Amino acid sequence: MNKNNNKTGRIVVEVVMVLLSLLFLYPLFLTILNSFKSFSEVMTDVIALPKHLVFSNYSYVWQFINYPKLFMNNLVITVIGLLGIVFVSSIAAYKLARTKNRLSGIFYFLCIMPMLIPFQSIMLTVLQIAKKIGLSESTWGLGLLYWGFGAPLAVFIYHGFVKGIPLEIDESATIDGASGFRLFFSVIFPLLKSVTTTIVIIDVMWIWNDFLLPLLMVNGSPDTKTLTLAAYTFVGQYTSDWQYAMTAMVMAVLPSIVVFIFLQKYIVKGVVAGAVKG
Amino acid sequence: MLKTLGRKWREKIEFGIFTLPVLICIAVAFYIPFAMTVRYSMTKWNGISKNPVFVGLDNFKQIFTGDTNFADSAWFTVKYAVLYIVLVNVLAILLAVVLDMKLKTTPWLRAAFFIPYILSLVIVGFIWKFIFMQGFNSLGESTGWSVFALSWLGTPGLAFISILLVSIWQSIGFYLVIYIAGLQSVPEDLKEAATVDGAGPMRKFFSITLPLLAPSITISVFMALTNSIKVFDVILSLTGGGPGGTTYSIAYDIYRDTFQNNLYGYGTAKALILFLAVLVVTILQLAFFKRREVEA
Repeated sequence: MNKNNNKTGRIVVEVVMVLLSLLFLYPLFLTILNSFKSFSEVMTDVIALPKHLVFSNYSYVWQFINYPKLFMNNLVITVIGLLGIVFVSSIAAYKLARTKNRLSGIFYFLCIMPMLIPFQSIMLTVLQIAKKIGLSESTWGLGLLYWGFGAPLAVFIYHGFVKGIPLEIDESATIDGASGFRLFFSVIFPLLKSVTTTIVIIDVMWIWNDFLLPLLMVNGSPDTKTLTLAAYTFVGQYTSDWQYAMTAMVMAVLPSIVVFIFLQKYIVKGVVAGAVKG
Repeated sequence: MLKTLGRKWREKIEFGIFTLPVLICIAVAFYIPFAMTVRYSMTKWNGISKNPVFVGLDNFKQIFTGDTNFADSAWFTVKYAVLYIVLVNVLAILLAVVLDMKLKTTPWLRAAFFIPYILSLVIVGFIWKFIFMQGFNSLGESTGWSVFALSWLGTPGLAFISILLVSIWQSIGFYLVIYIAGLQSVPEDLKEAATVDGAGPMRKFFSITLPLLAPSITISVFMALTNSIKVFDVILSLTGGGPGGTTYSIAYDIYRDTFQNNLYGYGTAKALILFLAVLVVTILQLAFFKRREVEA
């Protein structure tokens, strides 16, 4: 009796939760739905299914914002940012974790301390510096800037992990004749694979979706805009043409959703690991 | 002797090669801008003229005595942060407990609640703007419910609630997965032992699950605090600070002063205050939770 009760209880919970999750995703569903409607249909009824699917919204927005170019911009910024963050942070964290003296301690503190500085406190002056050293208004320049912004967390996570790698591994590699960068990249870096994955996931999500820094740095020309920026300006121009606005939204978020569907397990794991260690 | 000296130097050089790149990057991104922020905060400057005029602590004096924008946005941010931290954590814990029951649909549910978190906040703001404006119109017509007839973005109090709801909607998946991970580390036999001892589900939750979740709560509250104190993107696209300027956060107020009103010196002074606030709150919180966790 009790067991039976338990079973029906579980089914009820299950059904309620599934309904709740559908309700939760309903705004996204409506966004996609309305991207396939004509202007008059969006205005008359948002929740009704489209009478016939309108694909011209997509071809219009695709051309208008030059989607392939924006996608490439996002990709360039994210890849440059990511490679640099992983490279400079991993070598530094390794050396700092292995060197036990005062200077090393001070350097480590200087590396992680900026985690407490909110971006808004320095955004103005960052922009000025970027202009001065020629990093503004260019995708690779923005990518380079992310090295510094991403490094504190990455150093922190790598540092904690390197401490758990036994020193004997370094020693035996030294005996085998490896040292410096060779020791690090052939022996240590492969051992850091799981943390590197975590850092890559957190940073891709952050850089790909970032708004304020790109707004200040690369919003000046359509050649350097990111997907999010283009969607932002697009909506500003088309305040009443919701069908185009919704199409632009879908196109901006689609890459993230596709990647998430395929790499869901790793992404969730990476996010949890990053939070727990960070 | 010479050989050891040589080795020492080599080690020092290697230390430099490995650590200086990151320090240079961080200096360019944080320390140099920060030093400049401190300098500009004591000047009157429109961002264009060549020489900022040094005014000492005048900016700070004005911010604390005669700036209603700052007071309003600070109050907004505090209200928002407190409600956000409490609501997002309570809701995430409740959801996590349900999902931890090992339902058949748990993998789907977890993914569904997580999806908004991978989306850009600005875009999330626009999507909800559409829902609040157009979507609620249609929903109101087809259901006749008066909730949908309210002006969710056009009434000051409701706009605040809308921002809060949208932020929670976007980020709850993140806190959810942290709590699920935390719950999975609560030993099963502890819960079973409690059941054997006759503890009901409520009792079990409050005397076993919740205390053992303490580390996850520390992390989540910390993350919720650092994120909510800097809230900006979602407001920009959802309400744009309106209606009637009632939904400006501190970060948005700084943005408005510096980039829209060209008050560079004044804006950086506010930025510095935001930094100090974040610093103090973070230190207090870490100290508080460290103590609590040791006691538990």
